[in-house]
Amino acid sequence: MSGNNHQYAFFLGCIAPNRYPGIEAAAIRTSKNVGIDLLPLKGASCCPAPGAFGSIDLNVWYAMAARNVVLAEQMGMDIALVCNGCYKSIWEVNHKLKHNDELRDGVNEVLKEIDMEFKGTVDVWHLAELYYDPEIVGVKKIADSITRPLTGAKIAVHYGCHLMKPGKERHFGDTENPMWIEELVAALGAEPVQYRNKMQCCGAGGGVRGYDLAHALDITNEKMINMQDVGVDAVTEVCPFCQLQFDRGQIEIKEKFGAEYGIPVLHYNELLGLAQGMSPDELALDLHAIDVEPFLKKIL
Amino acid sequence: MAEVKKNEEPRIGVFVCHCGTNIAGSIDVKEVMEYARTLPNVIVADDYQYMCSTPGQNKIAEAIDEQKLTGVVVAACSPRLHEPTFRNATKAGGLNPFRFEMANIREQNSWVHMHQPEEATAKAKDAVRIAVAKASLLEDLVPKSVPVEKAAMVVGGGVGGMQAALDLANAGIKTYLVEKSPTIGGRMSQLDKTFPTLDCSQCILTPKMVDVYRNEGIELLTYTEVEQVEGYIGNFDVTLRKKARGVITPEEAEARGIVGGGCTGCGDCVDVCPVIKPNPFELGMAPRKAIYIYHPQVSPLIYTVDFDACVKCGLCVEACGDKKAVDLEMKDELMNVKVGTVVLATGYDIFPIEKKFEWGYKNYDNVITSLEFERLICASGPTGGHLVRPSDGETPKRVAFVLCAGSRDNTGVGKPYCSRFCCMYSLKHAHQIIEKIPGVVPYIFYMDIRSFGKMYEEFYYRIQDEGAKFIRGRVANILEDPVTKNLHVNAEDTLLGRPIDMEVDMVVLAAAVQPTAETEKTRRLFGVSCSQDGWLLEAHPKLNPCGTTTAGVYLAGVCQGPKDIPDTVAQAEGAASAASIPIHRGEVELEPYFAQCIEEKCAGCGLCVNLCPYSALSLVEKDGRTVMQVTEAKCKGCGTCGGFCPGGAIWMQHFATPQIVAQIDAFLLGGEQ
Amino acid sequence: MAVKKDYKDQNLAEKLRDRKYYAPDSNPEFLKEVENIGQTAAHMCYQCGTCTGSCPSAPRSSYRIRLFMRKAVLGLEEECLTDPDLWLCTTCYSCTDRCPRDLAPTDAIMAMRNLAFKRDIVPRNFLQTVQLIYKSGHGVPNNDANRAARKKLGLEEEPETTHKYPEYLPGIRKILDHYRLKENADRILAEGE
Repeated sequence: MSGNNHQYAFFLGCIAPNRYPGIEAAAIRTSKNVGIDLLPLKGASCCPAPGAFGSIDLNVWYAMAARNVVLAEQMGMDIALVCNGCYKSIWEVNHKLKHNDELRDGVNEVLKEIDMEFKGTVDVWHLAELYYDPEIVGVKKIADSITRPLTGAKIAVHYGCHLMKPGKERHFGDTENPMWIEELVAALGAEPVQYRNKMQCCGAGGGVRGYDLAHALDITNEKMINMQDVGVDAVTEVCPFCQLQFDRGQIEIKEKFGAEYGIPVLHYNELLGLAQGMSPDELALDLHAIDVEPFLKKIL
Repeated sequence: MAEVKKNEEPRIGVFVCHCGTNIAGSIDVKEVMEYARTLPNVIVADDYQYMCSTPGQNKIAEAIDEQKLTGVVVAACSPRLHEPTFRNATKAGGLNPFRFEMANIREQNSWVHMHQPEEATAKAKDAVRIAVAKASLLEDLVPKSVPVEKAAMVVGGGVGGMQAALDLANAGIKTYLVEKSPTIGGRMSQLDKTFPTLDCSQCILTPKMVDVYRNEGIELLTYTEVEQVEGYIGNFDVTLRKKARGVITPEEAEARGIVGGGCTGCGDCVDVCPVIKPNPFELGMAPRKAIYIYHPQVSPLIYTVDFDACVKCGLCVEACGDKKAVDLEMKDELMNVKVGTVVLATGYDIFPIEKKFEWGYKNYDNVITSLEFERLICASGPTGGHLVRPSDGETPKRVAFVLCAGSRDNTGVGKPYCSRFCCMYSLKHAHQIIEKIPGVVPYIFYMDIRSFGKMYEEFYYRIQDEGAKFIRGRVANILEDPVTKNLHVNAEDTLLGRPIDMEVDMVVLAAAVQPTAETEKTRRLFGVSCSQDGWLLEAHPKLNPCGTTTAGVYLAGVCQGPKDIPDTVAQAEGAASAASIPIHRGEVELEPYFAQCIEEKCAGCGLCVNLCPYSALSLVEKDGRTVMQVTEAKCKGCGTCGGFCPGGAIWMQHFATPQIVAQIDAFLLGGEQ
Repeated sequence: MAVKKDYKDQNLAEKLRDRKYYAPDSNPEFLKEVENIGQTAAHMCYQCGTCTGSCPSAPRSSYRIRLFMRKAVLGLEEECLTDPDLWLCTTCYSCTDRCPRDLAPTDAIMAMRNLAFKRDIVPRNFLQTVQLIYKSGHGVPNNDANRAARKKLGLEEEPETTHKYPEYLPGIRKILDHYRLKENADRILAEGE
C-alpha cells in the first residue's frame, strides 16, 4: 500500500467474487496502479439484490443495504464497488437514509437489534466513476498506467441501468447518450464503437432473468444484434450481473433461439487489467462462457 | 374621371417570381418569362427568386425608369399578399401605382397544380397574357381622402366591449358603449371565479364597470340596440333604439323638471311588485319581479321594467313616490349618432345542449350546464354558493364534468369547433367543489385537456394533484336512476380500454358556445361577414385578427370565435387600438375604384340608384338634365351599376369595360389578336 | 357494481363477464398504498405513454406500465396484483428517467410487487434468493469451481464477505427474521410445491 493512495472499503457483492473472481482480482490490482487502495469490507453480504429484495419488501432492502454501509462507517471509509446492482442498493439506500429522517429512524430501529446504527458518515462510489474523476484518478492517469494498449480492438460499451438511472437522483448527467466510459475505453488504446440503443437494459434486472428467462434473453438478444451489426470485438460493462447476462446469456440464446454471436464480454476492470499487462490467467478469463480467445488474439 | 394620356403607346414590363420553389417547383418560370417577351406591348420581361425582396422590387423601379414603361405586371402570389408591395415599387419607379397588375400564378396555379407542371406552365402563360392585356389599358388613378368623425362606437358591454370602450375613451375618443341588456358586465359577471388565478370574477370586473360608468369619454347606452347603420369608415351614421326601460335616471328626471327625482336604486319598487318571473341572469334558478335589476353590482344602478310581464298595477309608481322614477307609459326611443369607427363585441350564448338528447339535459334533474354551475357555486347566486342537486337539494359527493359537450361535434347538431375555455373552467369547477365539499370526487370526462394559456398547464397539474379524477373518454350517454335520481355516466376509459359506468350525484355539461342571437342581425347592419359557424370573420386570421373586411369595423372577444377572458381583453385592446388609428389620423384614404358617370351617355333613368347596395348613387339635375351622381366615399366599386347600365354610361375605374373585354379577348383568343 | 351472471355454464359466465369499470368495485386505498410505498405521486400520471414507449419489456409482451399506472389511479388492486405482467419490469428506470411528470413508474411497480407479496403473490425465484441470502449472506453464493479459480488467482477461496466471516450471518438473519421474510418465503415455496 503506497502512502498517498486513496483508500476505499471494497464492497464485493456476489457475482464478482463468486462467479467472475477475475473482476475482483483485477479491480484490486488495476486500482492500485492508478492510486486507489481497495481494502476488504469484512462481513459484507449481498447488497441485497435490488430487483429481488426491492420487489418483495423495500423495508428489508433498506435494512440489509444499510447494514453493509454501516460496516464501512465502522471502518471510517467510503465504499467503492464494481457492480451496478450493488450501486443501486448501496448508493441509493445510503443516499435515501441520509436524506429521509423517517426512513433512517425506521431502519435504525431494526439495526439496533444487531447493535448497529446508520449514521450517514460515508459515501458510496462505483470504481468506474472514480477512474473517470480527475480529482481521484482521471482518464489521463488511466492512459498512463497502460503497458499493453488494446490497439485495434473495437469495443461496445454497455453502461447498464442502475449506475446512472434514474438520472435525476444521480450525478452522471446525460443518461441518454453518455460517453464517459467510452473515454475510459479509449484510454486503453481501444476503439469504442457506437451501436443502436446503447442504453437499453441487458434484460436481466428486476428479477426477470429468474422469472422469465426467455423474455430476459430476448432483450439481451436485441442488444447482441445491435452490437453485431456494427462489428465489435468485445463488449465491456461495469456490472458483473450484466456480464453474466451477456456472457452466459449468449449460450442460452443459442440454446433457446439458435442465434450465435460469440462476442466476448469483459468487465472494464478485466480490460484495464489486460491493458496494464495482466495475463488472461491472472484474470481467470477461462471462466467466461464466451471464448475470449479471439479478442485476446487481436490485442496480444 | 381620372386623367387619361391619349394616344399613349403601351410599354409593359413583366416580372415572373419563382417564390423559391413555391412557384418554380411546378411552373417553368423561364419559359413563362420567355413567352411574355413575345406578347404585344411587352418591352421587357424578367424573372427573380423573390420578387417581393428589395432586389426584386428594385428590378421593377429600374425597368420603369430605363424602359419608360407605362404598365407593370408581376406574376407571383395573390394580390391579397403583395399587391401593396408591388404598387409601391411601381410608384418608386415613377409610375402611378394603379398602373400595376398582378397575375396570380401561385395560390391559383402552382399550389393547386403541383403535380401537373406542363399544364401549370401553360396556365401561367394565360394569366400573364391576360394581365398584360389589362396593364396595356390601365390609367392613372388617385385615391380619395375623407375626413373621419372623432367618435367611436362599441357594441356589447361585456368585458371585451368595456375594455375597448375604456381604451378608446382614454385615448381621447368620444365612445358610445351600446349594451342590449340593462347592465354592462356581460357573461363575466355571471362567473364565480376565473381560471387559472382563481380571482373572484365580480371582484375584478366591478372596478372596470365603475370605470366605464364614471369615464367622461364614454356615453353608456344600456338597454339599447343598434337599429340601423349607414355610411362607411370615418362616417358611420348609426341609429340606436333605446328600449323603454320604464324607469328614468336622475339626469332624465332633471330634464323632465322633476327636482331630485329619478331612480336611486333603492329597490322599494321591487318589494311591492306582485309579478314573479324567473331571473334570466340566474338562468331561471331564482325569481325576480317585473321591475328588477340583475344583481346588486349592476352598472348603471337603474331598475328596469319587464313590460312583457308587467301588469301595470302601478304599485311601483306609488312606492317610488316623489322620485317619480317609474314611468309605465315609456316608449322606445330612437337616437342617431355619428362615429368614425366601430368595435363589435357581441359575445356568446350557450349552445342549447338539450339538443344532444344522449346527455339528458332538461330531462334529468341533476344534469346541469357549466353556467348553471357557476351560479350555484357563487356566493351571490341562488343557493348562496352551495352546490346542491336540483332533485333533492342534497350536496353531491360525486360530480361528473362532461367536456366537449356539443363542441367538436360534426353531426350538424352540435358545433364543429373547440369552444376553447371549457377545459379550463371545468378544471376550475373541480377545484371549487374540492375546496367546498369535503370528500367530494370530481370526475372529468375529457378527450384532450387543452390548457394552452399562460399558467394553464400548471393549473391542470394543480387540479390533478388536488384529487380530480380524469377519465379520457367522451361521454356516450347518461342514464338516470328513477328512484335516487343519481346518474350513470357511460363512457370508455380509453386509457384503460374498457367501458365505464360511473354512478354520480350530479353531471355538469361543459356546453359549447355559439354566437349570440343578435350577432347575425348586428353583423348584417355593419356589413361584416361571418364564417360557416356563425362567428364574425376577421380580415385575416393571423395578420389582421381584429379587423374585418369592412373598413372601420373591428372585432373584440368571443363574437369573433371562442376565447377566454385574457384573450378577449387582449383582442379588445387590439381592436380599440386599430379603431383609434383612423380617428387619430383624421382622414382615411379610399381606393379609387369608384363608379363614374359618363354624363353625356346617362339617360337619367335611375335604375342604378335602386340597385346600389351602398346607397352611393343619386340622381341630380345638371345643365338642365337629370343625370346620376356617385358619392365616391360610399361607393365600394362593386360594379353592380356598371354591369347593369343599359346605356353603358357608367365607367368602373380600374375595372372598366374595355379593360375587362381586353382580358377576355386575351384569354379566348390565346394571344392571337 | 359489476352485474353478476349466475349462468350455469362457467365458460359462458367467464366469456360474457361484465367488463365495465364500476367505481365501487375498486379500492381507492390501493393508490395511496402504491404512492406511499413507491414514494411517487402516481395520481399525477397523465397517461402520455412515455413509460411504455421506453420500456424494453413492452415490445415483447403484453406488459404496459402505463396501464398499471392507470389501474393504480382507478384503484384496480386485484387486477394489478394478480397480473403476471407485473413481474416483467426489468427495473431499468428508463421510464422514470423520461417521465415528463417527474414520476417514478418503476417504483410504482415495485410498490405493487411489495403489495402482491403481502398476499403471497410472488414468483418463486425471488423467494429462492431470500433463502440463499438467509443461508449464506449471498444471493449468488460461492461454489467449489469458483473456489478453485479464486485460489488460482491468488485470492482466498472465500471472499472477505459473510463467506469468510460467517459470524456476521446471525445479524443478517435477525434482520430478515424481523420482517419474517424467511418464514414467509419457506411457507410460500412449500405451499407451491
